[in-house]
Amino acid sequence: MTYRPEPDRDSQEWWERIATREFAVQRCDMCGTTRFPARAFCPACRTEAWHWQEVEPEGRVESWIVNHQPFMPGAREPYVVVMVRLAAVPGCLVYGNWHGERPPEPGERVRASYNRIDETLTLVNWTPAGG
Amino acid sequence: MAKRLLDFSDRTAIAGVGYTPFTKNSGVSTLTLACRAVLAALEDAGLTADDVDGLATHRVGDSAPPTLVAPALGLTDLAWHLDQFGGGSVSHAVVGQAALAVAAGVAEAVVCYRAINARSEFRMGGTGRGVPLSPEVQYQAPYGYVAPPQQYAMYARAHMLKYGTKAEHFGQLAVTQRANAAKNPRALMRTPITLDDYLASRWIAEPFRLLDCCLETDGACAVVVTTAERARSLRRPPVLISAAAWGGGTSHLSSVAAAADPTVTAAAALAPRLYAQAGLGPGDIDVAEIYDCFTYSVIVQLEDYGFCAKGEGGPYVASGATSLDGPLPVNTHGGFLSEGYVHGVNHVAEAVSQLRGDAGDRQVPGAEVALSTAQPGYILPATSALILRRS
Ligand SMILES: [Zn+2]
Repeated sequence: MTYRPEPDRDSQEWWERIATREFAVQRCDMCGTTRFPARAFCPACRTEAWHWQEVEPEGRVESWIVNHQPFMPGAREPYVVVMVRLAAVPGCLVYGNWHGERPPEPGERVRASYNRIDETLTLVNWTPAGG
Repeated sequence: MAKRLLDFSDRTAIAGVGYTPFTKNSGVSTLTLACRAVLAALEDAGLTADDVDGLATHRVGDSAPPTLVAPALGLTDLAWHLDQFGGGSVSHAVVGQAALAVAAGVAEAVVCYRAINARSEFRMGGTGRGVPLSPEVQYQAPYGYVAPPQQYAMYARAHMLKYGTKAEHFGQLAVTQRANAAKNPRALMRTPITLDDYLASRWIAEPFRLLDCCLETDGACAVVVTTAERARSLRRPPVLISAAAWGGGTSHLSSVAAAADPTVTAAAALAPRLYAQAGLGPGDIDVAEIYDCFTYSVIVQLEDYGFCAKGEGGPYVASGATSLDGPLPVNTHGGFLSEGYVHGVNHVAEAVSQLRGDAGDRQVPGAEVALSTAQPGYILPATSALILRRS
């Protein structure tokens, strides 16, 4: 691991939940819209009240890249980054490393694969939902 | 639509353009590059620094702001200046805002410049600079996902999967632009390439190869914005700013719920406003300088600016439509892929050159209307564009 994420005041609790393998998104108390990443305001109704809702850490592969140079110091190429459309927040695209024996396939169902770095930090990678 | 208090269409003009040489190592500061390009643009217009009452730039913490350039050129009282934070997506907004300032009478002669040591000092590709300051970075950089070629490659593959866009389409675009650059004495890369050269170039981030990616360049470029009336009295044929628009859409890099379709850019939202302002449509554009940080960037914008149907950008390029003798010559200077990377301003300057008819061997005969566009909003959630026309 080469770059340690720097949580902000909106995201701190999201990272804390991920460290316990709880995949949560925000749900608006007013209109019910789910959102990620963490923000104070609901973009649909512009209100502030919300709560964390644990969701299935699942989605579908929308795209991926195979990196042939270390874009961050210490990265070991080639490595794959996938773009996943979250099932729980359909308009939302998330990124992570691919955790699989074979390349991703377009549209395939994937699940989060937690990569525990240390006590306070876990990263979210993606792996085929079947295996 | 509400009546506009200030209709600035065709009320301002670009009266001059200026360049420094494009190199891999300028050996000088961005302040020096900025001063050289500003003075070159004024010389081209037939003005002097004493005529300037406005300066504007965009930058990402990597270049000299107007507040440094003004004293360096002995300008003590700028009536208007703009130090716009942002990358290529705001490049054309800077010129548009200068046009607004001039049309409003706040300033009379504004020089818009971009000075950049993008190869020798601050590389966009992720080395030589820190991780960008954005809350999105925490969700991406830990996975080694941080640089523009990666982000564009990700969207390019999404487009390939959805519409069948092929590597050969990207390759044909690179080949076409290199052929244009071969006719441009200013271009850094002038040796023609073939589709096989493209396919044989090394992977950067699949589906992108080296020849999908723009150059990293040291250099500066500047344009002078003044009133249309004043421009008509100057040395060069004035090029009117018929439309300038900025804004338009959401961010795909920011993983908020609005990022629904990664194959559509902010340009799709902005284009109707832009064309309406000029009273023109895509069919009226004679030449287009389209922001080409990567091959795919051009293909998706050809769709979003309405030159072909959604998903047809690849076949449109492969048909030869965007070559110098095609119906829509694109990136006649070679673009960032082959001329050099000056973060958008060299696209504006090339459009001006085409409309003045002084583009030499790469001149599009009789070009009267040009579109010039910015980074289409994949990285910052907005884009910008200009429609220029011969007076
Ligand atoms: Zn809401």
